[in-house]
Amino acid sequence: MAVALGIDLGTTNSVAAIATPTGVEFILGPRGERVHPSVVAFPQSGGVVVGSDAKRYRLTEPSHVIHSAKRFIGQNIRAPLVQLAITGVRYKIVEGPNQQPIVEVRDRRMTMPEISSHVLQHLKRCAERQLGSEILEAVITVPANFTDGQRQATKEAGRLAGLDVMRLINEPTAAALAYGFGRDRQQLIAVFDFGGGTFDVSVLRLNGEIFEVIASDGDFFLGGDDLDRALAEVLAAECHRILRVDPRPHAALMVKLMMGAEAIKCHLSEYDAAEGEIEGLDMPDGSSGRLPFAITRHQFEDLIAGYVQRTVDVTRQVLTAANLSPSQISDVLCVGGSTRIPVVRRRLAEVFGREPNNRINPDEVVSQGAAIQAGSLTDTLSEGTGMAARDAVATPGHSPLSLGNARLPTGDVKRPVLLDVNPATLSIQTVSGFTQRLLDKNAPIPIERTHVFTTARDNQTRVEIDCCRGEQRKYVDNEPLGTLVLDNLPPRPRGELKIEVSFRVDANGILHVSAADQVSGVRQEAHLQVLGAPEKHEDA
Amino acid sequence: MSARADLLLWAQRVLGQKKPRPHQLLEIREDATVEQATQAFHKIARSAHPDLHRTMDPEDLELVTRAYSRVAAAYQDFRSGARDRPESQRPAGAAPSSAQMSSKALVYYRKAELALKRGELQVGLLQLKMAIAADPQSVFLREALARVEDELKNA
Repeated sequence: MAVALGIDLGTTNSVAAIATPTGVEFILGPRGERVHPSVVAFPQSGGVVVGSDAKRYRLTEPSHVIHSAKRFIGQNIRAPLVQLAITGVRYKIVEGPNQQPIVEVRDRRMTMPEISSHVLQHLKRCAERQLGSEILEAVITVPANFTDGQRQATKEAGRLAGLDVMRLINEPTAAALAYGFGRDRQQLIAVFDFGGGTFDVSVLRLNGEIFEVIASDGDFFLGGDDLDRALAEVLAAECHRILRVDPRPHAALMVKLMMGAEAIKCHLSEYDAAEGEIEGLDMPDGSSGRLPFAITRHQFEDLIAGYVQRTVDVTRQVLTAANLSPSQISDVLCVGGSTRIPVVRRRLAEVFGREPNNRINPDEVVSQGAAIQAGSLTDTLSEGTGMAARDAVATPGHSPLSLGNARLPTGDVKRPVLLDVNPATLSIQTVSGFTQRLLDKNAPIPIERTHVFTTARDNQTRVEIDCCRGEQRKYVDNEPLGTLVLDNLPPRPRGELKIEVSFRVDANGILHVSAADQVSGVRQEAHLQVLGAPEKHEDA
Repeated sequence: MSARADLLLWAQRVLGQKKPRPHQLLEIREDATVEQATQAFHKIARSAHPDLHRTMDPEDLELVTRAYSRVAAAYQDFRSGARDRPESQRPAGAAPSSAQMSSKALVYYRKAELALKRGELQVGLLQLKMAIAADPQSVFLREALARVEDELKNA
């Protein structure tokens, strides 16, 4: 029996799971951990180390440890936010072909999909050990606002790891699926997903087995990492003031402060104040320093107020886009580690006038949804797979699937149908420099529309159309996507040729373009290379 | 197997229509409410969503996927055509649409559409005003005018 893995490929941590008849089973790491750090180390001693073991090298070899690859995957390296993010990591990123970010470690050059494929391969190996069978298919989750390039690159990472990525699903949608599967509900819910590096809000309508996203928005450069960095900056200033050393140019020192900041942040989610010392700071003069700190929850809340406000603003925008008032939402799901921060939950409760649901595990619910979708796509779902049955974690060797003869009952459960949405408006540039909208943000996917283009000059054999993503009227105010080229056109007087171009966004949120000459019906070449994305492999 | 045959017939019907109106693809009345459109779309999704037919012959699946994708666009069009307008302005709950204006107004409206597609906002504005002069009752036209005026302000 083919088993497909559900994978939540996170910025800081990843979780993998499979759907079994008794519930969702998590894939455990070498130490029995459910949560696998999305960290890949290339240590001095050679080889590649992934997961919790890779984290150990962060202090000794900071420039050989690749973390937060999700912040760069499928991105255009020239984008200002990407440039800013590069200043926040201690490994080297350079520009590669097609404006892709490339990691340089020692003498190796690797693309971001290659880095992420190491994480996926690690999860695949853990799963194969646990289940005793080969795993070839997977459903991987991505932030709802991930663009075309980021989605293509994530799919590429799966391919490199030897996985057929059956589907990319959006993280908030996956959480909603884990929450509502098998419960036959009629309700409106909001999913607030504030993770390590990305932030999303989706509003969904559950209608029996239908999970329809009504509106979604977010920010793929807003997450727990940013909160850690804000606190680390404060610690760095303290270090400068007390120890008379500015740690900012020293990679290892800053990593240590970032780790300290993360620990303080987590402590402040439970307690009103954090006081202590960060020990073992390797000072530039070779000595070992210790930095005392004392910070209250209130001070921390002030420090991150701007970030939290942004999440509240986006949440309100999504409600407006969905044409709903907060009181119509009957449950609010909190997903992602950053939703453990009390001020985040408090502000969310203010927006919706109700406390967010606290019965779901913010770290695991996305992978549960991915596992359910993987089960659905392979048609191996059974009644007890949802959250309602709680997660049955089997130890390796006791998994119902590893027995080999375990047959999953099929056909007695309604397969869920996910109706997700297009993350951003896709437009083309008009002659006057404005945009013409082709596919709207929040339109249901898969979706297809056709548009007719013509030539502007006599005997023109090539038409180039600039495509962009974004909501602004002026072309230059949007994010450039790439140039659509219609080539080898038959020479005709201008305006005579009618080229029908079809723009299709598939269920993965990935754009496909094809063209046909309307008069002759002959298929034309249409190629859109998305900037920052890997070369397209036409296997899907 | 007959469910599958029905599905293929449906897909061929959807793809065979020349310039279909959104409500035709959703198989609802033109004056249906958004809620009715949503229920119609969900009903189609329950039987035709490509995820449910992964084991189908790839060529047939492509057909179903394209038909479903067309219907998704129709659903979006129907929703955005109806949602922007407050319920109270609709005659008996009907969504205003270009079909309800007089034929003279429609001629001007089509010209306005063409001009707007070319990005000629001023020309579009003028044509829309002519259309309103021909059919002063049309809510659809007045709202189209308001949108163009907004765009001119922002441009």
